[in-house]
Amino acid sequence: MSIRSHFDDELSYLNTELIKMGALCERAVTSALDVYFTHDKSRAAVANKLEKEIDAKERDIEDLCMKLILRQQPVAGDLRLISSAIKMISDMERIGDQAQDIADIAVNLENMDFENKVHIKAMSQTALKMVTKSVDSFVQKDSALAEEVINLDDEVDSGFDKIKDELIKAVSEDKERSKDYIDILMIAKYIERIGDHAVNIAEWVEYSLTGTHRKGEI
Amino acid sequence: MKSRIFRATVSVAIFMVISCIAVIMGVLYTYFDKQYTNELSQEAVYIARGVEMQGMDYLEGLNNKSHRVTWIDSDGTVLYDNAADPAQMDNHSDRVEFKEAVESSVGRSVRYSNTLSEKTIYYALRLADGSVIRVSATQHSIWIILLGMTRPLLVVLFAAFIISAVITYNVSKRIVKPLNEIDLEHPENAVSYDEITPLLKRIAHQNREISKNMRELKRQREEFSTITENMSEGFLVVDNLAKILSHNQSALNLLGIKNNVENKNVLELNRSESFCKAIDLALNGKHNEQIMKMEEKTYHLLANPVHQDSKVIGAVIIILDVSEKEERESFRREFTANVSHELKTPLTTISGTAEIMKNGLIKPEDIPHFAENIYKEAQRLITLVGDILRLSKMDENSFTSEKVNVNLQETAKRAAQAVLQEAKNRNISVNLLTESCTVSGIPSILEEIAFNLCDNAVKYNKEGGRVDITLVKKGGNAVFSVTDTGIGIPYDEQERVFERFYRVDKSHSKEIGGTGLGLSIVKHGAAIHDAKISMQSTLGKGTTVTIVFKCVD
Repeated sequence: MSIRSHFDDELSYLNTELIKMGALCERAVTSALDVYFTHDKSRAAVANKLEKEIDAKERDIEDLCMKLILRQQPVAGDLRLISSAIKMISDMERIGDQAQDIADIAVNLENMDFENKVHIKAMSQTALKMVTKSVDSFVQKDSALAEEVINLDDEVDSGFDKIKDELIKAVSEDKERSKDYIDILMIAKYIERIGDHAVNIAEWVEYSLTGTHRKGEI
Repeated sequence: MKSRIFRATVSVAIFMVISCIAVIMGVLYTYFDKQYTNELSQEAVYIARGVEMQGMDYLEGLNNKSHRVTWIDSDGTVLYDNAADPAQMDNHSDRVEFKEAVESSVGRSVRYSNTLSEKTIYYALRLADGSVIRVSATQHSIWIILLGMTRPLLVVLFAAFIISAVITYNVSKRIVKPLNEIDLEHPENAVSYDEITPLLKRIAHQNREISKNMRELKRQREEFSTITENMSEGFLVVDNLAKILSHNQSALNLLGIKNNVENKNVLELNRSESFCKAIDLALNGKHNEQIMKMEEKTYHLLANPVHQDSKVIGAVIIILDVSEKEERESFRREFTANVSHELKTPLTTISGTAEIMKNGLIKPEDIPHFAENIYKEAQRLITLVGDILRLSKMDENSFTSEKVNVNLQETAKRAAQAVLQEAKNRNISVNLLTESCTVSGIPSILEEIAFNLCDNAVKYNKEGGRVDITLVKKGGNAVFSVTDTGIGIPYDEQERVFERFYRVDKSHSKEIGGTGLGLSIVKHGAAIHDAKISMQSTLGKGTTVTIVFKCVD
């Protein structure tokens, strides 16, 4: 086996691992949101387990990237792929953390349907879609998809602002449950952060494909 | 090949040139050597004669610069030398040529200088008085001569090299050309050297073998791809790094992939939990089956490891679309649950009432009332079982009766007639507006459809409401619609009322009666006749159900 083909195998392994990690993130976010929307407490344990798996994956991929950089001294596209991988996994890891945080808060919320007062659903669906699409853009090496993710962030941000207003109104009307509303605010904020991380991932995908990062020259 | 021919020829040429020079030099040198010695001996004879006649005077008068002449006395003392002062010279009695001359009147010897670059030939002759005349000449050795010839030699060698190079270049080109021009597809037709004919024959033979094998492989591959492309199951083959080696179109369709996936990682197709797990387990050598949900579809994944020398070298994944099966199964489960529930309710009432009567807890005058109850429930059961049987018959499509031409107008009239009494009881007016339309269908089922719709229109109507039954021809279609002014159906439940046992009123109220199967029968009946069914309904205002049949007249 030639050196280059060995390197190619390792790159394709890195690719696979990144896809797997992306899939874990999607699953973590989905289960965290399930805890909130369906009050299925068993999903909280799933989110916790996934978070640990994501952490482990991050370390594995980090090791792999370091090994590739040190042993193979990659250049051009390969180097971009590896360096953006290093950046992407830290965003993915954050998504995992936030999913776990959402699950932790939601599991302690009392069984009560907040959805008629605070409309988180649409925003959370958008955020989840962003995570899925950012991973898709990496998988399919599609910068158009990455751009879509970046544009979707405005939707999540405005959704968050709306939820904030709704929460202010809800708290003033229903002071008894103000603690729950604060928790919901936290959940909404975490969802908004997940969207931001998805944008970061999409930006790194874009960088690995085009060589330019929209936040400036690298 | 060219360079080999070139090298061989050039080296042969150079070898020939060098060996020629060596032989010629050897022969010529010996010949000249002999000539030289002869010359020396003749000169020695002349000088000896001269010395014998004139003595020292002859020598003094001799003007010979080319050779060295020495007169040695019989005791070895040098008497005369034309190249050196005799007084300074050693005694020559130990010289080889002198000794030989003293002994046998003639002596000769050859001596090389210290550097071997020169050799001196001596020729000595004994005179009558015992003294010896010696003539010697110095000659360059063969090496020096060769050295002197270096330049012309090099020129010759260089010329030989150039000439042979040019010749070989052309010759080798001419030799190689026909070889290069051999058509390897048909080597047997090639005009070429006799020596390589066996090789060409072998190539031709091999060509035939290869094309035979290629045809066989191609046929097999086509066979395989025809099979895999035409199967509705998705089919994926991956290597041990989970790269896709082979796939069929169905796999891409099922997974909703549009772009080219050859050589990509299989996780790029799908990364759901069950898919990842199926691949992971298979690549770890475990056969496994997974259920994967994708949006509305349910897939059954079969993943098998591929072994070679007890090592996993890849996996084969089969994707089956089991959505329909899954749907059917859940439908069946629901249906069974509903049927048992529906059957149980009247049976419980019957059994309970009968039990009370059996135990004699009822006054005789109450018996008719209880008997009425039992009768009613039993009737309900009969209707229910009848409906279920009809539905299952429709499900199985087992109709013994062929389709015949039916006048829908008659059917509609009969249905209206059937509900008239009930309508009158509740003060509901039934208005019939029909045209004559003939459709091809099964009379009993058409009757069933019309009756069920009219029955519903009355049953779910308000006191004093109205029912409009219309049948009109519209562009080759018979449009049958029943409109009531009843309770209506909520918008989001309008789809579901055609489901079996589905009732808007969840209490399964007995007041209205009905089995929850009426509209289901209508839907199935319509489907059998390829009729389109639609519903408009407003909650609290009323419902219109329209069925569009194809007319035959």
